[in-house]
Amino acid sequence: MSRSLHKAHRTTPCTNYHPHIGIITTCIVLLFSIIPNIAAADQLTVYSGRAERLIKPALDEFTAKTGIQIALLSSGTTELVNRMKAEGDRSPADVFITNDAGSLELARTAGLFRPLSMREIERAIPPQFRATDNSWIGLSGRFWIITYNTRMVKPDQIKSLLDLADPIWKGKLAIPNAGSEYLHAGVSVIRASIGDDRTKKFLEGLRDNAGTQVYQKSSQIVEAVAKGQVALGIVNHYYVYRHLATQPASPIAVVMPDQQEGGMGAIMNVAGIGVLKHTPRVEQAKLLVEFLVAQAGQKIFADLDKEYPLHPEVQADQALVERKSFRAAMVPLAKLAELRAPTLRLIEEVGMR
Amino acid sequence: MIAVRPSSLSSLQLVALASAALVLLPLIYITTLALSADPAVWSRLWTTRVPELLWNTISLACAVVLLALVLGVSTAWIVTRCEFPGRRLWEVALVLPLAMPTFVLAYVFNYLLGFGGPVEALWQMLAGPQARIFSPQSFLGVTVVMGLATFPFIYLLTRSALLNFNVSFEEIARTCGASPLRRIISVTLPLLRPSIVAGVALVILYVVSDFGAVSLLRYQTLTYAVFQQMTGQLDNQAASILSVLLVILALLFLVTERWFRRKSRFYQTAGRYRAPQRIRCNWLQTVGLTASLAMILGAAFGVPVCLLILWSLSPEALVILDARFFGFVWNSAVLATLAATAGVLIGLPLAYLASRKPTWLNTGCLQAAYAGYVLPGPVAALAVLVLCLNLIPVVYGTVLVLIIAYVLHFLPAGLQSLEPAIQQITPNLEEVARTLGLSARETVRQVTLPLIRNGIIVAWVLIFLQTMKELPATLLLRPVGFDTLAIRVWLEASEEYYQLAAPSALLIVLVGLPALGLLLSRDWRAA
Repeated sequence: MSRSLHKAHRTTPCTNYHPHIGIITTCIVLLFSIIPNIAAADQLTVYSGRAERLIKPALDEFTAKTGIQIALLSSGTTELVNRMKAEGDRSPADVFITNDAGSLELARTAGLFRPLSMREIERAIPPQFRATDNSWIGLSGRFWIITYNTRMVKPDQIKSLLDLADPIWKGKLAIPNAGSEYLHAGVSVIRASIGDDRTKKFLEGLRDNAGTQVYQKSSQIVEAVAKGQVALGIVNHYYVYRHLATQPASPIAVVMPDQQEGGMGAIMNVAGIGVLKHTPRVEQAKLLVEFLVAQAGQKIFADLDKEYPLHPEVQADQALVERKSFRAAMVPLAKLAELRAPTLRLIEEVGMR
Repeated sequence: MIAVRPSSLSSLQLVALASAALVLLPLIYITTLALSADPAVWSRLWTTRVPELLWNTISLACAVVLLALVLGVSTAWIVTRCEFPGRRLWEVALVLPLAMPTFVLAYVFNYLLGFGGPVEALWQMLAGPQARIFSPQSFLGVTVVMGLATFPFIYLLTRSALLNFNVSFEEIARTCGASPLRRIISVTLPLLRPSIVAGVALVILYVVSDFGAVSLLRYQTLTYAVFQQMTGQLDNQAASILSVLLVILALLFLVTERWFRRKSRFYQTAGRYRAPQRIRCNWLQTVGLTASLAMILGAAFGVPVCLLILWSLSPEALVILDARFFGFVWNSAVLATLAATAGVLIGLPLAYLASRKPTWLNTGCLQAAYAGYVLPGPVAALAVLVLCLNLIPVVYGTVLVLIIAYVLHFLPAGLQSLEPAIQQITPNLEEVARTLGLSARETVRQVTLPLIRNGIIVAWVLIFLQTMKELPATLLLRPVGFDTLAIRVWLEASEEYYQLAAPSALLIVLVGLPALGLLLSRDWRAA
């Protein structure tokens, strides 16, 4: 082959060099990496730390009513807070929904939320369930309860959460894992009520009694108790009632703990919502908040999720323990945020899984 | 050797350097993050979690290796040294468990061995209503699941060693009057040692970096702990500390394996090779062998797949086969295609340079690319995350971050088939092409690339498959609403919605099967 021929061949435009493949691939990758941002143009993006089954029906109803589409990212609460902090103003999220007031308050102090002043909120949600500047708003209430298998435990055997540290329950107790926000919130409340030293002893007892029965999901704890794999479990109340709604014959019941004279009261937390500061879709986001705090939205949380609605005029499900019949621990929700760092340290010190 | 044109070389070299940097930077970043962490965090972790996690991880690795060795070596010996009806079929079928991701196997076993599950019900019929079997969510349970998932690695390597084995060694031992047991212990097993050690190393790295099974079976290992720290804590200090420990652990295993291999080199004597004679089995032995093979394969593949099919056909599962489901399929396919293509494109220059111009720089780049071996999924995710946040925050939350993490994590798998493919073609061919007047680029395009095509295909398929199954990095880095099949399986299975997880799981297994065939025919038999 002559030198000139080879040169001519080399410059033929149709030859497919492999660097070209690289360029094309890079383009494709870049194209795909932009897609999420394009998609976000005409719809509301919701980051949700709640189980998808518990929040999607409410969001679907919102879409059906207003025509506003919603992109939902369901993931861990703390993971999402970290993510929003990292994403800053570029975050695709418009709205953050989660199941822990402490995390909502942390997101507020990190400057992620936009304070809302809306008459609808003031009217529907009592002030103790909102941030001071209304940058997050509670949507539904939940209580730490002790659930037990009726074939294995008698209801009068347990009065207080603190009883669960008793060695007689060794190997019979299921607890949430050390990363779950509702454990953090609960331990924070216990610390605020009985002090760090007693809390530490309590957690050590809990750790030893639970052994390997440490679960990622509350629904798994309820399953384990219902099957008799363990006798007792600590969960948020609505998981038990949701289970009973589908399987009424299940041998499972609820103790509302710490109601005795001088007891600390039941540990309450709320699921809530915040609108992100940078979002250009404030109007749509406000519509979503308005929908969720109004009676229709609150009813979804009450009927479907079996939570306690925060709207005073909406009734909780009949099966639940009447809200007026028990008292909640006296720790303000917003305080959960500042309590959290030392709580995490304590949980780590005890070496919970 | 004719020098390759300097300009094209330097651009290739730049690419190789950039890829090495892509791999090393996250590793360096994560180490600095760990070293700069508050000493209080270090000491708290050391006194509480670290001893338990280290013990759990190491003891699990040892137990799984033992189980996988027993299963792998014995099955390999059976199919190579015994002659019985159906032998050829078993020979191929024993690879099937490799198509089963650990999280799928774990979730099926969660049901099978679970409290009140079918196996326990069966056992209670035999041993009385109060009898309990071991829980799948225990050391023993995780060991069984991981052992069943990994024994084919050892099976494959031992089998090919046994096939290439010169029987004269055994025969000499026999003529010298050694008993059968003595022959196995002092001749056969030592000769198999290099391939067994290679298999063991594969299994250990697999166990140490596994996330799917340990998370679903709630068994605390370092890898799982890194993930939990990342999702449960407001900063990544503790996660980075545990990550560094994990990297060191994996590195230790890797170095030990290399050392072992160097210490024990065996050479087959040239010529006089004779294939071993297979033991003819009578019908009783045949039944026994078939039953035991069927039990192993049934537990590792048959029963799980049957259950997945059954669950996929249940009404609950059929309901979810809608547009959303096909969106997940599409997401998985797109991610895997992009990652595989990017991996091959990045791997090629590295492997090419290291074999054609083995300067310290080029081989160094190649070795650096192998660092992905010691970066389990959550660690790779953490590394890419902190790096992207600090250097290119714009890409955070996009597909690009995921692709970087995949390439980082799976590049070694790709390189392992690219490297030998390139080494096998002699540079003479390229030199001839150059003397005949082709330019350097044309030589690559018309001579080198066609010759290493098979290696490229295998590398691509390997990365594609691994990406399809990848779980922790995808969980941590995926863009909004960008769920993959693997994520759906994990999410549904972790809430024990067995039926809802089944279609996605079945699809992952099915996609893996033809690829397995490809690997069997090209890669392993050549090895």
